[in-house]
Parts: sequence; C-alpha cells; structure tokens
Amino acid sequence: MSQSVIAARSTISLHKLGVFCGLSAAVWLGSAEAPTKLVNAGFSPFIISMGMVMGAFVARWTVPTLLKGTGFLFNDLREKPHLIVWALLAGMLWAVANTLTIFGVRNVGLAIAFPLWNTNSLVGLFWGCLLFKELRGSKAKNWAKVVGGAAAIVSGAAVLAVATAQQNAGTPGKAATGIIAALGAGVLLGTMYIPYRKAYISGMNPLSFVTIFTFGELGTVTLLTAINCGGASQVLVQLHLARTMLFWPFVGGFCWVIGDLFQQYAAKYIGIGRGIPLSNTNQLWGLAWGALVFGEFVGLAMGGRLLILAGSTIMIAGALSISMAEPPPSEMENWDAAMHRECDRYELDRENVAAVVGGNDPLADNKHPRRWWEVLIMLAATGIFVWLAVGTRTQHLHLNFPWMMVLVVGTIVPLGLCGTLLWRRTRFS
Amino acid sequence: MKRSCWVAILTDVHLWVPVVVLILGTALLMTLR
Repeated sequence: MSQSVIAARSTISLHKLGVFCGLSAAVWLGSAEAPTKLVNAGFSPFIISMGMVMGAFVARWTVPTLLKGTGFLFNDLREKPHLIVWALLAGMLWAVANTLTIFGVRNVGLAIAFPLWNTNSLVGLFWGCLLFKELRGSKAKNWAKVVGGAAAIVSGAAVLAVATAQQNAGTPGKAATGIIAALGAGVLLGTMYIPYRKAYISGMNPLSFVTIFTFGELGTVTLLTAINCGGASQVLVQLHLARTMLFWPFVGGFCWVIGDLFQQYAAKYIGIGRGIPLSNTNQLWGLAWGALVFGEFVGLAMGGRLLILAGSTIMIAGALSISMAEPPPSEMENWDAAMHRECDRYELDRENVAAVVGGNDPLADNKHPRRWWEVLIMLAATGIFVWLAVGTRTQHLHLNFPWMMVLVVGTIVPLGLCGTLLWRRTRFS
Repeated sequence: MKRSCWVAILTDVHLWVPVVVLILGTALLMTLR
C-alpha cells in the first residue's frame, strides 16, 4: 500500500480503537435485550431465542452489507478457507451456551445464573493467555490491570444481578442443575473466543467471520429448538403463533449483530483478554433500559438501589482498568509469535497478514465491484423486517418515552463515532 | 481445500479445545433437558 494512502488514515492507536469497539459492543449488546422485554405474552424462551437468532441472520445482510460487499467476502474466505470451520464452530458454541443459559435462569433465577455465565470473560482471558500468548511478556502491573479489571466486571455483574433479579427466584429443588447449566454456558462462551482470536491473528475480516458464524448459530439453534419443542413441525406452529411479536426479537437480533461486530473488532485489535471483559459491561446498558424505560425497579428498596450503584461503579472501574492496560512491545512480540504460528501452519502470507492485523489491509482502499444480487439480498432482508413490523400487534407496556429517546440516541452515537473511527483508521479491515 | 490444509486443521489444538468443549456442553444440555 502506498505511503500516501496510509498517511491519509487516522493515527489513533489500535489499543484505543479496540477499547472504543469493546465499549460500543457493550452498548449494542445491552440494547439487544430491550426489544425482547417487549414480549410479555408467555411465549417459549426457545422461540424468543430462535427469533433473535433469525433476526441476527437476516440483519447481517442489511447495514453490514453496505460496509463490505460479497466480492470482498468471497475473496477473504477464499484466502483463508480453513477459518470457515472455526467460524461455524463459534456459532455452534454460542447456540449451545445460549440454550444452557435458558435452563440456568429457569432453575436458579437470573441473580445466580448471570454472574456464573458472566465468568466467560475470565475463561476467555485464560484461553487468550494460554493459546494466543496474550499478556505474556507484560509487566505485573499490566497483568493486575487486566485480570483485576476482568474480575471487577464479573463481580460488578454479580452485584447487579443480585440487586435486580430478586423477582425471579427460579425453580425450587433444581438449584444444582441450574448452577451447572450456567457454569457450562460460561465455559462454552469463554471457549467461543478461541475461534474469534484465531480468525483475527490470521487476518480475517470480522464481517466475513460473522457471516459464517450466523450460519452455525442458526443451524444449531434450529436443531436445539426442534429438540426442545417437540419436533420441526412444532417449531413452525409456534413461530406462526408468535408471528405478531416476532418483530421485537428480530430487532434484538439486529442490535446483536451490530454489537457482535464491534466485539469482533475489539477481539481483533486488543485481544480477547481485554476486549471481552469490556463488551461484557453490556449488563449496564440492559439495566439502564430496564430501569429507565421499562420502569422495572420502581418499587426497589434503598438497599437494592445502593447495590445497583455499587455494582455499576465496580463494573465501570474494571472497564477503566482494562482500558489503561495497553500492551507493551514485549507483549506485542508474543502476539506476533502467535500470528506467525498461524501463517506457517496455514501457509498464509506473513507480510499481508501482519498488515491486516495492524489495521492496514492492503486491499481495503481498493474499489471492490458491487454485484447486482447484493441489492436484491439487502432489499429482501430489509423487506423481512418491514413485513414483520407491519403485522406486529401493539404491546401494552408502560414505556418512558423521554428516557427511551435518550437511550436510543446514546446507542446511535457510539455507532456513528466508533464506526467513523474504524473507517478512518482501518477502512473496516 | 488442499489435503495439507485439512491435516493442519485436524492436528490443530485450537480446533480440538473448542470441539471437546462443544461436545461436553451438548452432552450436558441433553442431560439437563
């Protein structure tokens, strides 16, 4: 790539960019919970979960298609075909983990289940260190910032969950099952970040990874829903019955895709050890929607309010700690060693991969011709959302519109800011 | 994909760690339901 093209780009550090991506991911992943709160008609959690995954699958072909076309996507996959296996695997891991969380919440309630599966960031940190040499070569101060920060975020999540989920005590007598399910979900979600990191130290584009991921996710969720709901025909019947509310899980799926894309960029530019705990602060945003828009905690006692304040403060402190733990050159050497391992093993071009990993994809500034079918795909995907919106029945819920507007703006602003930063620094590479 | 690529995939510890976790997770799910 010519020096003039590189010079035209923003010079923001990749660490700062990754931190912004992690925090933006938290906003969008947290907001993804809001539309599902509009569903209060007693539908099966499996159907709601499947609706969200279907929404994510369709949403991938809306706004994200504008960023990189199918020509770029096919080219990226052709260069690193082995990563299709890992992207599918990650989608399957997410689907099984998500189903386990449903069992966890059902049996022990959100207060116990949420902190247990939130340990996924610690599991991801462990795998990042063990398999991808993250944090290796860093000083004790940096270790303390990252590990302490991740632990603080998990602890903050525990405090928030205890404070906010008192209304859901779970199913008596099934505590052990629920705890095992939630812990299992944490291990699966934490392990899911292995494919994430592997893809990015091989120079894959997050948009390519997410595309294949959604196939693995939708296939596995469909299978698991069919098993849990009594067969494929039953799933179709329940989806038909849920037609009037499906728009909301679809909107949740849309928010999830945007959030997950930011999470992927965070995993790419600051690693899973730092990126995942940051995006796991999404609970704060879910809490903001619940408290300010849906008025979920109107009758909460002072003790509960203080717990929410304490949990939020601990979580923010953890995120700040990780944000300030920029990897030193000695750690970056280990990141490079992990990248070279991939290049040697899968015969990838070291120079090219190093450029992409550094946010300087040589092909990013090239014009990729758009195909005619991309317009059709985008129209079809958008049409599905419009069709679902038209047939949606009004949900009788009390909403605080001024706060909703504030949070909607607060969700869109990071999208604009972080999207602009990503474009200026990396051209979405 | 070339045969050497498949060999590299199948002998990669980065594959088997998630695969084993996925199998165990699925088994756990089937036991709990």
